[in-house]
Amino acid sequence: MNRPNPRFFGWMMVSGLALIAIALSIWLLAAPVVPVLASELPAAPAPQDGAPNSQCLLCHGEPGQVTTFPNGDPLYVSIDPSLYGASVHGSETMSCVSCHVNISGYPHPVSGAQSRRDYQLTYLETCKACHTEQFDNLQDSIHGEMFKAGNENAPTCTDCHNPHTQPPMYNESGKVNQNVRAEIPETCAKCHNNIYEVYAGSVHGSGVIEGNNPDVPTCADCHGVHEIVDPTTASFRLSSVEMCAKCHTDASIMDKYGLSTAVLDTYVADFHGTTVTLFEKQHPDEETNKPVCYDCHGVHDILSVNDPEKGIAIKQNMLVTCQRCHPDATTNFPESWLSHYIPSPDRYPLVYWVGIFYKIFIPTVLGGMGLFVATDIFRRQVEKKKKSEPTSPDEKSPPGETGEKENAKSDEEVKP
Amino acid sequence: MSGEKGYNRFSVSQRIEHIALVLSFSTLGLTGLIQKYAAFGISDALIVFLGGIENVRIIHRVAAVMFLVESVYHLVVIGYKMFVLRLEASMLPGLKDVRDAIQALFYNIGLGKTRPKMGRYNFVEKAEYWAMLWGLMVMAVTGFMLWNPIATTRALPGQFVPAAKVAHGGEAVLAVLAIIIWHFYSVHLKKLNLSMLTGKLSREEMEEEHALELEAIEAGKIAERPAPAVLRKRMIWFSPVAAALSLLLVYGIYVFVTYEDTAITTIPPVEKPVEVFSTREPTPLPQLAPEATTEPGESVVGATPLSWNGEIGVLFEQRCGMCHGPAGGLNLTSLDGLLAGGESGPAVVSGDPEAGTIMISQTSGSHPGQFLPEELARVNEWVAAGLPEK
Repeated sequence: MNRPNPRFFGWMMVSGLALIAIALSIWLLAAPVVPVLASELPAAPAPQDGAPNSQCLLCHGEPGQVTTFPNGDPLYVSIDPSLYGASVHGSETMSCVSCHVNISGYPHPVSGAQSRRDYQLTYLETCKACHTEQFDNLQDSIHGEMFKAGNENAPTCTDCHNPHTQPPMYNESGKVNQNVRAEIPETCAKCHNNIYEVYAGSVHGSGVIEGNNPDVPTCADCHGVHEIVDPTTASFRLSSVEMCAKCHTDASIMDKYGLSTAVLDTYVADFHGTTVTLFEKQHPDEETNKPVCYDCHGVHDILSVNDPEKGIAIKQNMLVTCQRCHPDATTNFPESWLSHYIPSPDRYPLVYWVGIFYKIFIPTVLGGMGLFVATDIFRRQVEKKKKSEPTSPDEKSPPGETGEKENAKSDEEVKP
Repeated sequence: MSGEKGYNRFSVSQRIEHIALVLSFSTLGLTGLIQKYAAFGISDALIVFLGGIENVRIIHRVAAVMFLVESVYHLVVIGYKMFVLRLEASMLPGLKDVRDAIQALFYNIGLGKTRPKMGRYNFVEKAEYWAMLWGLMVMAVTGFMLWNPIATTRALPGQFVPAAKVAHGGEAVLAVLAIIIWHFYSVHLKKLNLSMLTGKLSREEMEEEHALELEAIEAGKIAERPAPAVLRKRMIWFSPVAAALSLLLVYGIYVFVTYEDTAITTIPPVEKPVEVFSTREPTPLPQLAPEATTEPGESVVGATPLSWNGEIGVLFEQRCGMCHGPAGGLNLTSLDGLLAGGESGPAVVSGDPEAGTIMISQTSGSHPGQFLPEELARVNEWVAAGLPEK
């Protein structure tokens, strides 16, 4: 008989498997390791020598003092001692001259600033001395980049934080103070009022603005604070799923509002979510046409799905949402998405019962096959043992490695 | 047919068909299961290896088309064998196969004396063939629904699409595991059966698996190939029918592939574009706060006579005294202090309104405290008049 050597195939298979295993382990080892950075406020106190605050407040404590820049900008130079005392800097008894380092007495040195903005920018690096991390994050953020690109509207530290009145951010237990949190949307609205007005009407924004609800996100919860990135990039979009999921998989928050925490799992299990999850893992900078949470639910205008007018739980609204990407979709199409539900006999029964069918069908078929194969293996072992016992004295090959093969040959020969 | 070289089992075209099937099936199984179980590390690695999920989907669909084309070819070949060669339909299952399976099982567990004698296709092979056909049907129907969800939901309720996905995935798991358990065991592990490569089976293999066929061969009861003239006659009607049918089916596959554009390729921005930079109206920047006066209600401007004690002293007290009081380097609350001045010189010079530091600081506009214009005019008048005290 002219047959290829089975051992050759065995070796091919073994070396093939080994190659796959090596390639896989190299790939797994190359997976990136994400360092965890501690982000603590540096508590370095500013130098306390120089003029005492009381000396400055002799003049600046008087309300209503305004000076005017050559371009006509007014600068309000009064400090309310009670507000300053309650601020984070005042309560740390920081002295005025810690920041206003060029002032040591009166008259103050003349500033060449032509406008209020010019004057503010002379203090650009002042905060860095104590708040290095925040300062560096700001430089790397979209705000910092726009500032460096010459955009005059891009904010610096003091556009968001008034250093004379900024209350402490965190309370003793390390949580953001509620009064500070409530101010976040107002702060962003100084420059992003269009977005603020949309946000104010959303289920999240109204929660913050009307009720100071700690469960709903402010601008900073989604965009970050100092490290704000461009939210129009592919990578922001892909990572937004995890952002939403942070709260929407937290039962301690969602239970209060009767919201499902299965939204992430059901999304990831679906075609859209599977794709987005893979893109985020493998190509975080590439665009995909599969939707993320906010493509269906909205961004700043996000509403309850049960909103009587615009909620996407209403079939017609859902269809309109689907048609944004599936222009040819018709009435039945939205039902092809399980709306984050896990199929049950009551909801999506067909999906449920097909699943049950395969849960029974697969083990039944495979079990039957497995059973037959097992009996066949058993039988062949029994036969092999039976045949190997009465060894013919003519057999030349010794028992051992080659014995099995020889036996198999002799089996066939003795058959009638 | 028989002899030293073994017994013919599979023709060259069957072996090529098998290779095409192996390639498309394995590709479908691999690219399908890594989509179904995308969260697993190995799937992730394979998806990267294959160039990303969108590539994997394209490969899956190409393999699906290969599989379908292969099915059409297979159908034509069966037609040729049935209606032109008029061979026995040896793959059709029957009661004998059930009896054979039971006998084989009994033999395996020691309840039977002999293995069943089986024909050209035994129950193991028939089970696999028909399971494959069932799988093909399920996969083609559910695959069409997943490929064309918009078309599907025009005719059927929406939940047929996710149900099709469940069935497609379930059937895939079943098919792949069945191939591993049933096929790999029967032809690779039990005994390495190479007839799909060599086309031949040995006499021993024939005895064990196809004893009835072997008997038939040895008894000379093998189907003769019809005479060329007969074949030609049969082909006259078979050729056009087969051509039409295969064209129709291939067109069906083309429809399957191109039926709909499910989604647009570039997703539109979810929000209506707005001007990102938009300040609040009215602007929250600091405004001129109402000024505090020490003696509200009564203006001192215009009091007579024009003197330090009469009017000017009060003006200096109000406008400058808060900062430039008796404690500092420049005291503007007394006439002597005014004349003494500060580091930069005297605050006023008698008879010359332009000379003193007061005028310099007041006209630059940058000094925190400012006289009102009419107040400044009175001060200048007073300086020009020689700084009268009373």
